[in-house]
Amino acid sequence: MSRDAPRPIGDTLLKVEDVSLGFGGVRALSGVSFDIRKGEIRAIIGPNGAGKSSMLNCINGFYQPSEGRITYKGKARGAMRPHEAARDGIARTFQNIALFRGMSTLDNIMTGRMLKMNRGFFWQCLHWGPAQSEEIEHREAVERVIDFLEIQAIRKVPVGRLPYGLQKRVELGRALAAEPELLLLDEPMAGMNLEEKEDMCRFILDVNEQFGTTIALIEHDMGVVMDISDRVVVLEYGRKIADGDPEAVKADPKVIDAYLGTGHG
Amino acid sequence: MIYRESGQFKTSYATDQAIFPILQDRIALAILLLVAFVGAPMFASDYFLTTILIPFLVFSVAALGLNILTGYCGQLSLGTGGFMACGAFAAYKIATAFPDLNIVFVFLLAGGAAALVGVVFGLPSLRIKGFYLAVATLAAQFFLIWLFTKVPWFVNYSPSGVISAPPRAVFGFFVTGIEATSHAKYIFCLAFVALLALVAKNLVRGRVGRAWMAIRDMDIAAEIIGIRPLHTKLLAFAVSSFYCGVAGALWAFIYTSSVEALAFDINRSFQILFMIIIGGLGSILGSFMGAAFIVMLPILLNAGPTALGTPLSTSTIAHLELMTFGSLIIFFLVVEPHGLARLWQIGKEKLRLWPFPH
Amino acid sequence: MDAIFDFLFGPLKEIWAYPTFFVEVVVGGLLTGVMYSLVALGFVLIFKASGVFNFAQGAMVLSAALSFVGFTELGVPQWLAMLLTLAMMVALAFVIERVVLRPLVNQAPIILFMATIGVTFFIDGFFQMLWGEDVKRLDIGIPKDPIEIHGVLVNTFDIVAAVVAGSLVATLAFFFQSTRIGRALRAVADDHQAAQSVGIPLQTIWVIVWSVAGIVALVAGIMWGSKLGVQFSLALVALKALPVLILGGFTSIPGAIIGGLIIGVGEKVAEVFWAEKIGGGIEDWFAYILALFFLMFRPQGLFGERIIERV
Repeated sequence: MSRDAPRPIGDTLLKVEDVSLGFGGVRALSGVSFDIRKGEIRAIIGPNGAGKSSMLNCINGFYQPSEGRITYKGKARGAMRPHEAARDGIARTFQNIALFRGMSTLDNIMTGRMLKMNRGFFWQCLHWGPAQSEEIEHREAVERVIDFLEIQAIRKVPVGRLPYGLQKRVELGRALAAEPELLLLDEPMAGMNLEEKEDMCRFILDVNEQFGTTIALIEHDMGVVMDISDRVVVLEYGRKIADGDPEAVKADPKVIDAYLGTGHG
Repeated sequence: MIYRESGQFKTSYATDQAIFPILQDRIALAILLLVAFVGAPMFASDYFLTTILIPFLVFSVAALGLNILTGYCGQLSLGTGGFMACGAFAAYKIATAFPDLNIVFVFLLAGGAAALVGVVFGLPSLRIKGFYLAVATLAAQFFLIWLFTKVPWFVNYSPSGVISAPPRAVFGFFVTGIEATSHAKYIFCLAFVALLALVAKNLVRGRVGRAWMAIRDMDIAAEIIGIRPLHTKLLAFAVSSFYCGVAGALWAFIYTSSVEALAFDINRSFQILFMIIIGGLGSILGSFMGAAFIVMLPILLNAGPTALGTPLSTSTIAHLELMTFGSLIIFFLVVEPHGLARLWQIGKEKLRLWPFPH
Repeated sequence: MDAIFDFLFGPLKEIWAYPTFFVEVVVGGLLTGVMYSLVALGFVLIFKASGVFNFAQGAMVLSAALSFVGFTELGVPQWLAMLLTLAMMVALAFVIERVVLRPLVNQAPIILFMATIGVTFFIDGFFQMLWGEDVKRLDIGIPKDPIEIHGVLVNTFDIVAAVVAGSLVATLAFFFQSTRIGRALRAVADDHQAAQSVGIPLQTIWVIVWSVAGIVALVAGIMWGSKLGVQFSLALVALKALPVLILGGFTSIPGAIIGGLIIGVGEKVAEVFWAEKIGGGIEDWFAYILALFFLMFRPQGLFGERIIERV
């Protein structure tokens, strides 16, 4: 799988400077800096426990970094809650699927539109007039996401009953429905078979190309990472050990050490 | 072969999102409403109206309220009785302070008062979850009942601590007080309940309901996609308490006509909780089914052995009732957590395919 | 404004003027608090070992006391009645494990909580049907005379209760920390799937812990029963133990003790010095409001483990 056409990669969208994060005595991240440019696919890789998920959690406000600064769209952010990050156009998926299990696929993806719906409580009570037209307008947007991800058949199925691979796809759908500027994907292909992985890769590349969405993803499958990402950050024990385009990172002796453990043997 | 949807095509998202997308369901609902509004008052006896249908309607409103909070938003509350008491006493204070105010507005305002109190007691839900919150709602239960028992202002300084519904009329018919006929009370109650049920259904199938369910299913993920947890939970507390408050007002004014705070003690809260567990958590229909079941059960327990020729003593029946409720709760939680409503749905799905097994 | 000031701070003057009386109230509160802790202990045990918030603990206290009195009224000697009641509590543990816990394993905690509310109603109905619902007197020969220590009046019964509660806690702590079963219990509490995978029999552990909770319920039932008489209201004592748990944290045995003491003292002092001006009877809710305020600042309770949220 290779990138057919060069896409416009813009200016820096998000900048992480010197970010550290600690839980009690454990340091999950120490002094990590990197940036994400508009329109690119940025991978964050590293061995287990390297602090990758913690990094994403800092970016979308679930954790507050104990030190350092995160600048998003040119503005340095103070402490912020996740829903504020969502309002700013950051959406994400989770390592362990975090769907709303009691709701149907359709309703799950509709929740992704939540921030764009604003009809008042009164109209909601009536479910008529403006509230209904708003509901239909967003239903149409959601149906486009459903078509894009090819999950028309499971529209009305409660997500708890879906197989793992489809749940991952619905979760991507929920994030896409929010039309994010920055999409964070936490191991989107973990536990998938080859075919499912290929599908998922295709969706990620299509999202990036068709909607111009900036994507930051964590993934363990090196083949996939090297194929689809523009630039790669490598973390180990909470520190950044390499950063650059896939070829350079692949050749970096520190990365080889971290993955093969030769340096420690 | 009658229950078929073949040939009914949904050509717009609006029809797909209707409450009853299937034609036969709409016909059934029309018949049900006709029976409820016309048939029941024509043929039902006074006894049937006052001891079964009216309490069923009042309980349904309370069950709707609790189901919104617990079934849809996932916040378990054991304070339902307290919020009902709020509605009852607020309605009494408003009705006696403004004798000219239409009783409909009295009830709505009473619901509003209960909603405010609900929001106050919902505030801890920001920090605490699950059974911690359930225990916290007990604070509301005990505090509110104590307040209405101890502060004479709430009962207009009546020495007995009992409030009696003043007579009020709607369209020239008395619906509360001594002169009100059970038929007028029933119709009034029914109209109220039908509207409240419609509003509840509208809320849960739209944006608000999805936010509630998202918080219920996974609050962290809900926050990350942009739902404000406190805001959403407080809205659920407000709406839920509004329904419970209206239920309390209906109870005091229409069902019993006079009431003391202890009628809304913790056992009332459990009773409503049982209705939604048995009827179905997260289901509007289930709220009604649960209410019907719990209203009917003691009557059946009473009538069954008597009909068999072995009448039981009152205390034995009371104990049997406790045991039956307990076992049913466990049964439904283990076997069918979505309650009677889910069983009904399964039945309908079977009927759709009948007589073909698949 | 003056009225509010007077209401809030007036009683402080009273306290200052009569310190002995205040000490008496505090001691009375402490001793009632011990009794609350006794009930709360049962909750903590079950929560620690099975992650279930057992609302039925109060009903278990009632059923244990009812059975004990019921057997003695049939002419059974007290030691045998005690053994028979113990056997009933173990049998109850077996039934609950089989009918409720096993089918509901891996369900959300809130579902299990609701299931135990069902258990509460069943037990309340069943044991009252079995033994009747009249108030029964329970006397196991603990003296109830007040004695004077350094000018402070204390009831002998309360002191005995405190000693019993103390030794029960010590025994349980030993059981949890130092025995094989105790280790297995703690393993199950941490992660029951992991515990099962190293060969700890989950179902046996549950039966054991529910039986132990039954024993604690029996002790609490006998103590409360001899204080208040054995009747339905005994089950409501459990409602008093809930704020104790919030205060102390659901997983901590010392927390249950300290929480019980705080609630006991707070409630008594508030009732004696403040409540009469607002109509009295605030014992029903004061503990809850106290616990609620506390929760706003420390959601995991005094001794509870800090909750770290993950995604």
